[in-house]
Amino acid sequence: MEKIQIVRLFAVFVLALTASPSAAGPLDSPGAQKALICSACHGFAGNAPGNHVPILAGMNANYFKKAIKDYAEGKRTSPEMEPYSKYVLQFGLDEIAEYFASQKKPVPFSVKIDPKKLSRGQTLATQCIACHGPKGDGENERVIPALRGQPRGFLEAQMALFGSDKRKLDDAGLEEAKKRIFKGLEGPDFEDLAAYYATLK
Amino acid sequence: MNPISRRRFLQVGGVSVAALGALPVPVFGQARRRVVVIGGGWGGATAAKYVRLTDPSIEVTLLEPNKEFVSCPFSNLVLAGVESLKNLTLNYSRLAKQGVRIRHQAATAIDADRKRVRVGNDALEYDRLIVSPGIDFQWDQVEGLEQAKDKVLHAWKAGPQTVQLAQQLAAMPDGGIVVMTVPPVAYRCPPGPYERASMIGWFLKTKKPKSKLIVLDANKDIVSKTGLFKAVFKDYEAHIDYRPSQKVEKIDVGAKEVTTETGDKVKYDVVNVIPPQRAGAIAVDADLVGGDKRWCEVDHVTYESVKQKSIHVIGDATIGLPVPKSGNVANAMGKICATAVVSSLNGKTPPEIAPGNTCYSWVSDKEAIAVVNAYKIENGKVVQIEQKLTPGKSTAVADNSLAWRTSIWNDILG
Repeated sequence: MEKIQIVRLFAVFVLALTASPSAAGPLDSPGAQKALICSACHGFAGNAPGNHVPILAGMNANYFKKAIKDYAEGKRTSPEMEPYSKYVLQFGLDEIAEYFASQKKPVPFSVKIDPKKLSRGQTLATQCIACHGPKGDGENERVIPALRGQPRGFLEAQMALFGSDKRKLDDAGLEEAKKRIFKGLEGPDFEDLAAYYATLK
Repeated sequence: MNPISRRRFLQVGGVSVAALGALPVPVFGQARRRVVVIGGGWGGATAAKYVRLTDPSIEVTLLEPNKEFVSCPFSNLVLAGVESLKNLTLNYSRLAKQGVRIRHQAATAIDADRKRVRVGNDALEYDRLIVSPGIDFQWDQVEGLEQAKDKVLHAWKAGPQTVQLAQQLAAMPDGGIVVMTVPPVAYRCPPGPYERASMIGWFLKTKKPKSKLIVLDANKDIVSKTGLFKAVFKDYEAHIDYRPSQKVEKIDVGAKEVTTETGDKVKYDVVNVIPPQRAGAIAVDADLVGGDKRWCEVDHVTYESVKQKSIHVIGDATIGLPVPKSGNVANAMGKICATAVVSSLNGKTPPEIAPGNTCYSWVSDKEAIAVVNAYKIENGKVVQIEQKLTPGKSTAVADNSLAWRTSIWNDILG
């Protein structure tokens, strides 16, 4: 009996010695700490709750890095992201990209949308599959972003930029293909496509 | 056991402890570590939440007399009748779910030597104190203001005064004169007075076209987003009369008249005096302010006061960093300070993280402009990397501002 108590006491003593209170904290990685200020817009751990801000949780790391470089070089124009992209480059692009890529993506939005719009969106989306994949998950290797689960307002705004040639793709062949697709699309199509991808499970 | 003796205790273990210390093991026999946060605004509420998120073994008490959080950003829209204060009012319940102990009481004194905060008849002990007191007004800087402060609205802390000023504007007969005064820098929210002027300008143009707003600015020029606001004021030129270098020195509520530094007397039907400002009273009383007796100087990495050990100051009350007194900056400081406090309490070196600033101003019922600043740390000091302005006003920027408010309110209180 006494022996057991001594063992227990010893165990407690060792645990007290080895206690490392912050080791298990969700912010205890350099990437998380460097990404702290991003949460003002992009939400905690990249789970943006706003309709016009992209969700960074689970974002393909290669695509994240490309987006940051494009913003910093002015290839993509955004008064918000131009300064912050330089912040990310300054503090550690790889660490921040890895941090967001490893965060759990939130469950796609469950908002009530007219089923007709959704089915139109699904039909239109057949043109996107070749690059963005059958489930809109993109592909890290080919630096293609996921569309599934992104906020509607954000998807619509990006499509409007592509449609008006204010956002271009680097690869000339892909840019041509994108132009051909967007030639046949207009505002209401963007809405339906955004609704489809935002809610795709 | 206090943290210092615990640290000494750990050192006794030597090498084997250091090796084992990296493993995430349950915490036993550990001293209770306490962080007290004064002020539940954009900085303080964020800091309280992020200390808990970063290290849930730390006890966090937040002292905030108000039962509800009312957002100053977007409150200028209430004045023009395009937003309701209800939409800007949030509660603290989700913060409590993060394990933050919230006491809706004001901290009345800080005893830095004994590391205690007085709250009513209680004394709360802390290992680290985070002070996020916001601003208070220097009533005595304008003759006649102290006596008239119940009648002359500032509406510079969102709440009942915001609604009262909106009512005064709505009740004013068409053809009336509105006078608003802009205090000398530094004050809370540099573009705020000009956003307010724009929203009142829009309101008069669309609702009371024979009326006029006279802006008496203590500063030589528009303080923030200067070019953008100049373009907006031009759009409203029949309704906004902007007068720089016109510091208000006196108000006479009987005569409904203000007098400026140049001796100009200006009559009004509705007046809005934004008084000169300093850090919240508790920061002044606790000797956290510098020689100017107005603002608190802090370390740029940890936000620890340069005057008092173990006391950190964040938000509008700080001075010396090249950042504006904005809600977004206060939120960033809250997170960075929380990380520094948790690092210090765990015997680690705080990481060098710089804040960021995203700042939207609405200029009509549908359009907004923005300025964004990114910073880095250089030799222990915050240095700006870049500032970017929107090319002009647009509805797209207004949409982004609504997404921003959803996100950041969630970041502060969620």
